[in-house]
Amino acid sequence: MNIFFMQAKAELLRMFRNKYYIFWSLCMPILFYFLFTRVISTPEENQEVWKAHYLMSMATFSVMGSSIMSLGIKLVQEQTEGWTRFMKTTPLSTGTYFAAKMLAQTAVHLFSILVIFIAGVLINGVDLAFLQWITSGIWIIFGSLPFLAMGTVIGTMKKVETASGISNLIYMALAITGGMWMPIEVFPSMMQTIAKWLPSYHFADGAWEIIRGHLPNGSNFLFMIGYLFLFMLLSIYIRRKQEAV
Amino acid sequence: MENIIRLANISKAFAGQKAVENISFSINKGEVVAILGANGAGKTTTILMMLGLIKPTDGKITVFGKHPNQKEVKERIGCMLQEVSVMDSLKVKELISLVRSYYPNPMATEDLLAITGFEKRDWNKRTEKLSGGQKRRLNFALALAGNPDLLFLDEPTVGMDITARKNFWDKVKSLKNNGKTIIFTTHYLQEADEVAERIILFNNGAVVEDGTPFDLKNRLSGQSISFQGEENISLDIYRKLPHCLEAKKVEGRVILLTDHADELLNALFASKLSMTQIEVQQGKLEEAFSELAAKKEVM
Repeated sequence: MNIFFMQAKAELLRMFRNKYYIFWSLCMPILFYFLFTRVISTPEENQEVWKAHYLMSMATFSVMGSSIMSLGIKLVQEQTEGWTRFMKTTPLSTGTYFAAKMLAQTAVHLFSILVIFIAGVLINGVDLAFLQWITSGIWIIFGSLPFLAMGTVIGTMKKVETASGISNLIYMALAITGGMWMPIEVFPSMMQTIAKWLPSYHFADGAWEIIRGHLPNGSNFLFMIGYLFLFMLLSIYIRRKQEAV
Repeated sequence: MENIIRLANISKAFAGQKAVENISFSINKGEVVAILGANGAGKTTTILMMLGLIKPTDGKITVFGKHPNQKEVKERIGCMLQEVSVMDSLKVKELISLVRSYYPNPMATEDLLAITGFEKRDWNKRTEKLSGGQKRRLNFALALAGNPDLLFLDEPTVGMDITARKNFWDKVKSLKNNGKTIIFTTHYLQEADEVAERIILFNNGAVVEDGTPFDLKNRLSGQSISFQGEENISLDIYRKLPHCLEAKKVEGRVILLTDHADELLNALFASKLSMTQIEVQQGKLEEAFSELAAKKEVM
């Protein structure tokens, strides 16, 4: 158990020391939030709902980013620099290593959620019921799972450059097509249909439901769990194949 | 003698290409063994198989009587591998305590910091800011973090300057005096000769020689002269002769290693030392040696 906590602590330190994390997962979402709720006028329903809606968009955007990118790119970096190989010669098991990474990642996500929620209150005075804050926080942590699994898929790539390029591309594409930057209602109808099959849409939609006084719906859960299994299987399959050498 | 490592008929092929073919040897407790060979001879492949990082295509390896991948084995070994950097975004001290925490009986942090040879102000430096040589030294400290009984060092001195190299081998020698079993690879015959008590020479994926540095030099040096000499003559007298590289007495026979047998024979006759049953032998390992020698010229 001591090994696990030491490892998680080290991973946590490493994440907070990562400049990209601070920029992509904290500064960018907050800047976007400010822009799209204060500067650019938006043709949405009720302004108060929009402010809470977009706060959830940005919180999910942030957590999705650190799940896919921080995790994936670090894994590739550790692999290419031989660190992964060294760790396999120590008593630290692969399971503990991944579990510690996930715990650290989750702690960091909690921190991101907290900072972004506070930014929402400070910038726009977003006013939600206590239970809504809590359930949306829990939903976002739960919804990060398929993206963490996707991060481990990215983590099987051979080069840091490829991993960083591809994960950036996927991240941006998912954020836009999933309606995190602007509501999917402004998209052409075909794009809206596609969005409803994407993990990013269901991730954000679960949180949007919560701030409207509902719970995430069945298809939100279904898609999150479905994508989680899909990416887990893919990650395990690729890793097995690579180990076969 | 307790066998710590045992390799039985090990072969390894990568995508059909043979890297190691049918090698067998065992290593005893407390031995310091150099695995010597040119690049591509199969040294690293063999080390990685002993560490359980790659699986042999054929044959069986046991370490401490167990499969190399078992946790009990990993708790008793330490290793320094090629092309392994250190985990980034952590300070030197933090990384050392992290790796220590993996082991049941780790070495003291202060001792490990001393092994790195870093100045105190570097203890709080982020690992990514260390120089290449410093990273190697930190890798060495991490290899020792678990206070291992068995140490693997794969070309450990690559990238170290002369002082660092000397300090490194001094430390290895002191570990040897503490009864550790040490296996290292190198393509410097000199390093193997100075530190190891046993050399396993690899060539083209096979073990071509396994013995003491003396035996090896004997065969590597090209030629040797052996004879029944006078009982009370010090070997130093022979050593002072021209072209005599090394002298040794084995079962009453004097063996002289030479790079020029004719000249040495002339010198022996001229010095009027008593010799009977003289034999001159040609080295058997010229191919392996010339590859090593070629490597040396490049370095």
